Amino acid sequence: MPTIELAGKTYEVDEDGFLEDLDKWNEEFAQAYASTEDIQGTLTEEHWKLIHYLRNYFQQFGIAPMIRKVCKDNGIDMKKLYELFPTGPAKGACKLAGLSKPTGCV
Amino acid sequence: MLHPPLDQQPIDPAYPFRSESPLSREERKARFLGALKGILELDLYDRPLKMYLDTCARCNNCAGQCPVFQATGDVHDLPAWRSDLLRRVYRRYFTPSGRLLGRLVGAKKLTAGDIDAMVEAFYRCTMCRRCAVHCPLAVDNALITRIGRVLLAEIGFVPKNITVSVAAQLAKGGNTSSIPPAAFIDTLDFLEEELVDETGINIPIPRDVEGAEYFFAAPVSDYIMEADTLMGIARVFHAAGASWTVGTENYDAINYGLFYSDDKLEEILNRLLAEVRRLKCGTLVIGECGHATKAALLFHKVFGRSEYRDIRIESILQVTRRFLAEGKISFAASKDQGSVTYHDPCNLGRGLGLYEEPRELLAAAGIEVVEMQPNREMNLCCGGGGGLVVAPDLHDWRMSVGGLLKAEQLRATGAKTVVAPCANCKKQLRELVQHHNIDMEVAGLHDLVGRALTREEKA
Repeated sequence: MPTIELAGKTYEVDEDGFLEDLDKWNEEFAQAYASTEDIQGTLTEEHWKLIHYLRNYFQQFGIAPMIRKVCKDNGIDMKKLYELFPTGPAKGACKLAGLSKPTGCV
Repeated sequence: MLHPPLDQQPIDPAYPFRSESPLSREERKARFLGALKGILELDLYDRPLKMYLDTCARCNNCAGQCPVFQATGDVHDLPAWRSDLLRRVYRRYFTPSGRLLGRLVGAKKLTAGDIDAMVEAFYRCTMCRRCAVHCPLAVDNALITRIGRVLLAEIGFVPKNITVSVAAQLAKGGNTSSIPPAAFIDTLDFLEEELVDETGINIPIPRDVEGAEYFFAAPVSDYIMEADTLMGIARVFHAAGASWTVGTENYDAINYGLFYSDDKLEEILNRLLAEVRRLKCGTLVIGECGHATKAALLFHKVFGRSEYRDIRIESILQVTRRFLAEGKISFAASKDQGSVTYHDPCNLGRGLGLYEEPRELLAAAGIEVVEMQPNREMNLCCGGGGGLVVAPDLHDWRMSVGGLLKAEQLRATGAKTVVAPCANCKKQLRELVQHHNIDMEVAGLHDLVGRALTREEKA
């Protein structure tokens, strides 16, 4: 299984760099990954809010929520979502949140 | 144009098209030829495939039609060259003249290097069939690509991202986006709340309704990505007073078997038909998705089990168009939608001839379409067809090769919105407009159609 070293720690990831085990996630992981997903500098309050929201939903339902729901529950629009995560919610946001990779046309 | 030698190693190492087979190079050759023999003996493929393999005049008319070749100018991307990879092997092993005369008649012994070339070449084709429309001999290179991929799958070569999605779908109760039933139901509840917010009335998304006339199956990724499309479809069914349902045991119309495996195609199709039968519905309606519609409509009578043959299958485009013709739905004077262009998904247009239904719906909804050039049967593929859109590792190729001409075509319309009734196209088009800095929204057909409806209170 591929691994990735971020901020001095080794993580097991899939071939596209998504974390294998939701519970191995920590905040350093998200921060260290940010730059590879085109996010400059330190993650902001808005980033963390979304990351924790995604993790909570995933823990309950085993999948990320519908994008419309992400926006609605967090009071943001799609444009803002892409500003926060330029590589997109399915790729960037899920990756930083330690979710498994969404498959299919997402 | 001269074709390069077939065993010349392609192509472009910049893009990760290669997949890995567990078989040795020697085993691959024998198994490949055995599988080709098997396919040529099937009634389904025997005549069309042989015709396409027997007749190519090398006029290279396809060069001018292929958006991939137009983007790279590399002869390895020429449809006639790509098809020749299989054509020469077929001639050498399965025609008397090829066995006797070899290279004189364009026949060639299969090498492991040829197989390597095919692994890349058959996945650099998006199976858009634009070349087939313009071929003077009516050769359908996309069928050759498809058979090439089926043969490669037989010897272990399939891109990882496609197999991952299919494996998830074929696990018990699974689907290509791995959406568990509880999440699916939570999403339906959310969409119903959104419908109340948007329309002020209750528009249900019925679940597991036995005996409903219409069983609706979306490409399952819509339940993550396409709220507006799904809400628009619910509004149409509701306004028409139709009896419809989704099934909570199988809610995925996607069928990637179409791209590489008849066995998978058959298994996935029959699972969906079994769910339609469980709920005793008369018609299976496929949502806004090109390949899923084509897989169900064209292969229903071929691969559907005999006990499911009485189930009708339709595209949501056909159903909504019929509701309009029957006066079951109508549209209010359109609010300003800005300029709108329409993208013909390859599998709905060239695949199924659904060119006018969406245009008539848009016109009826008071939405003027700025046609992209060319359009209808000559429209350019989004660049993510043939299953490539599900591969994140091919993103760069889809942006700078597969979708290059599409991006220019979109920009030239100057439209504010591009409508594409296909989950695959929408994903690719969104990535394209972002990558190429085109100021354009991407929407499904029912996103706009749903908003323009009147008489929603009727039902």
